[in-house]
Amino acid sequence: MPYPFWETDVGYGPLMAVIAVLHVFVSHFAIGGGLYLVVAERAARAGADLQRLAFLERLSKFFVLLSLVFGALSGVMIWFIVGLLSPAGTEALIRTFVWGWAIEWVFFIVEILAAILYYYGWKRLSARRHMAIGWIYFVAAWLSLVVINGIVTFMLTPGAWLETGEFWDGFFNPTYWPSLVMRTGICILLGGVFAVFVAGGHADRPSRLRIVRGAALWGIAGLLISAAGWLYYENVDVLSQKAFVDVAERLVLPTMAVEYMLIAGAILAGGLLVTGVFAPGLQRRPVGFVLLIAALMGFGAFEFYRESVRKPFVIHGYMYANGLRVDRVEAGAEESLLESIAYRTGDDGRDLFNYSCRSCHELEGYRAIKPFFDGTDKDYITGALAGLHAMRAPMPPFAGNAEERAKLGAWVAERVDTRPLHEIHRLEGLALGRRVFEMRCGSCHVRGGHGDVTETFEDFEAEDIDEVLSDVEMSEEMPVFSGDDKERKALIDYILSWQAEAAR
Amino acid sequence: MIFLALPDYDVLPAPLWLVTLLHVLTLTLHFAAMGCLFGGMLALFAARLPGGLENPNARKLVKLFPTLMAATVTLGVAPLLFAQLVYGKVLYSAAIVSGWFWLGVPLAAMLAYACLYAAAFTKRGPARVRVWLLLALAGLVFVSVTYSSVFSLAERPEAQKTHYAGDTSGMVWLPDVGAWIFRWLHMLTGALTVGGFFLGVLGRKDEAAWSKGKLLFTLGTGAAFVTGMIYLLTLGDVLAPFMRSAGIYSLTVGILAAVVAVPLYLMRKLVGAGVALGLGVMGMVHARHVVRDVRLEGHFDAKAIGVDPQWAVFALFAVCLVIALGAVAWMLRIFFKADAEQAA
Repeated sequence: MPYPFWETDVGYGPLMAVIAVLHVFVSHFAIGGGLYLVVAERAARAGADLQRLAFLERLSKFFVLLSLVFGALSGVMIWFIVGLLSPAGTEALIRTFVWGWAIEWVFFIVEILAAILYYYGWKRLSARRHMAIGWIYFVAAWLSLVVINGIVTFMLTPGAWLETGEFWDGFFNPTYWPSLVMRTGICILLGGVFAVFVAGGHADRPSRLRIVRGAALWGIAGLLISAAGWLYYENVDVLSQKAFVDVAERLVLPTMAVEYMLIAGAILAGGLLVTGVFAPGLQRRPVGFVLLIAALMGFGAFEFYRESVRKPFVIHGYMYANGLRVDRVEAGAEESLLESIAYRTGDDGRDLFNYSCRSCHELEGYRAIKPFFDGTDKDYITGALAGLHAMRAPMPPFAGNAEERAKLGAWVAERVDTRPLHEIHRLEGLALGRRVFEMRCGSCHVRGGHGDVTETFEDFEAEDIDEVLSDVEMSEEMPVFSGDDKERKALIDYILSWQAEAAR
Repeated sequence: MIFLALPDYDVLPAPLWLVTLLHVLTLTLHFAAMGCLFGGMLALFAARLPGGLENPNARKLVKLFPTLMAATVTLGVAPLLFAQLVYGKVLYSAAIVSGWFWLGVPLAAMLAYACLYAAAFTKRGPARVRVWLLLALAGLVFVSVTYSSVFSLAERPEAQKTHYAGDTSGMVWLPDVGAWIFRWLHMLTGALTVGGFFLGVLGRKDEAAWSKGKLLFTLGTGAAFVTGMIYLLTLGDVLAPFMRSAGIYSLTVGILAAVVAVPLYLMRKLVGAGVALGLGVMGMVHARHVVRDVRLEGHFDAKAIGVDPQWAVFALFAVCLVIALGAVAWMLRIFFKADAEQAA
């Protein structure tokens, strides 16, 4: 690891999520809004609709201010932040796709200039030339999506690139086209929703109703395209492969994200239809604002879904979220992770925690690990580190050697509450046994879910279970039970209680 | 899956000379735009034009600042991209050491951009314009100082380790003042030079603006020369190897071009002066690039990185660039032609 680790108290996930979601929201609006402006301008000019032209000029000011000031610079901010949070991943992407980014930069120049000239050109340019600049803007903006979409989807589904290392194999990867359809739909949807929002403040009522209705229909069209894109995306062969289905089933987040998307989609569809098409008189700024929030929620949920099914990778199958390459981790059992770290803090445990876990987890706070280890002990933690990749939540295997694993285990143990669970929670009997099971077994075994062992124990006696808990050769990935006798007995009783449960 | 056969990304997708050329060209354009913006703001405050911010040329400049900001940001993307392509290891490391301040760069730029629009659009008089401009200027000063500091740190891997050992939270800002202060002052005076040039060109038909522009351009050139020389002398052990490198030629060409630009400008041969000034900036950019290589000797060798060219994608980039430049030229032409037609 040639880079220092940024030890910020703010979790990496929230830091990235806030900036990224707001940026993609505005940047997709910047594309769809451009198309809406130029198409609406054409219609307004054809119908000599001066009110609508005045509205479009005002919308273009809002559009330029939002997309240039916030859109462009929040894009730069994402670039800056990924370099801080995932320097190895950023370096891998830049080395692989630098010419893709260079092409995007070229479109970016045209897009920015065209946006400025379009705004300043309302009273200065002939209608034909003004609209020509509008079209140039939209085409350049959409082409920049065409490029960046290849890189974003590559991170989820690098496809044949993993074998060939060829630019085009990585760029036109399995989710490229579905994602492009979906994102194009989102652009169109956002163009309509923003227009509905701005039109809500338009003073002239007849003209406002006309503009709102047109923009709402525009938004609905975008929603339909993005829904079609989502169905295409979700059913693309690669996403139904085991790795992705497995992650989606093991984590609550992808399912939750899809539910949020559906809720947001329903709010948008209903809101645009009712307050846009059927009763546009209801459409005022607060209603438009609610629709904007729903769009933000839906789009944010999609980005969340994409990020969560990619776990535990930053580039699927190639590099883990902690910046370690898959092939490097495979060799981890023998190699020293510490020796590969160029910027050491002088505390080995801390360095191992930073470079193994902290890209996704804080000790306390964001995705804290402390609650998973409170009430356990050094031996358990060290043993659990050997089976990270088998846990319910997708995680990379620990990349250091056995000695380093023990060091990290000891370091974490010093920072969690190692009193027995019955002392911490004042539990007894089956309640204690259930808690012990959740803490010491639950990361890999969930009753009725991932790694369910209910059937395994259906004929076991107490002695058999006791033997399993102490069997050091049971599995390299499973720690030997290291709790005290009271916990051991409570756990055995709890497991035996399943048989009684089944008999009922 | 055979893990050991995974592609290696530790290669450049084009020969180093090509990446360097693109880096130098795009960074020159970025500095030119930044000089017009940042230097233009400095020049505007320093010039004290008759009527202050109500002066027609001052108003013209204020209206132009948001567009110049857009140009500065847009033209700043490519050189950073090419620098990260080659020097990612040292650049990311330096940025992480100063993490929060590095992250503050786009945020400060965003606020500055918003303030520039506010200054351009406000109808509440020159006092309000001044406030917005000063806020924007403060944001840009933060950006420029942080850039100088982080890029100086990137050239010093040992210092990165020392500072990181002292503070791992990304709160290290502006360490080793001597390492960056003259570099930053050279950038600042260079920006003032370009800003003075720009003010004079913009107000060439107005004697007050022209003479102030002339003065600031001349003084700026002198100040940039002095700060540049001091920076050169602070290079210490690096100075001798730099003198033996190609950097000395680009530095010489840069100085000569900047010197030639002054009389051309005074004679109102503005195109020639602009070309000479551009050459001067390019010379400095290349010299700056060579200083980085010389400083990194023993720590990082860009020439040692393997090359696996992606010619087909590069060709596509080149084609897109030509088409884009055509589109840009056409849009600018019809826009300014419309202006001329309106004036007629």
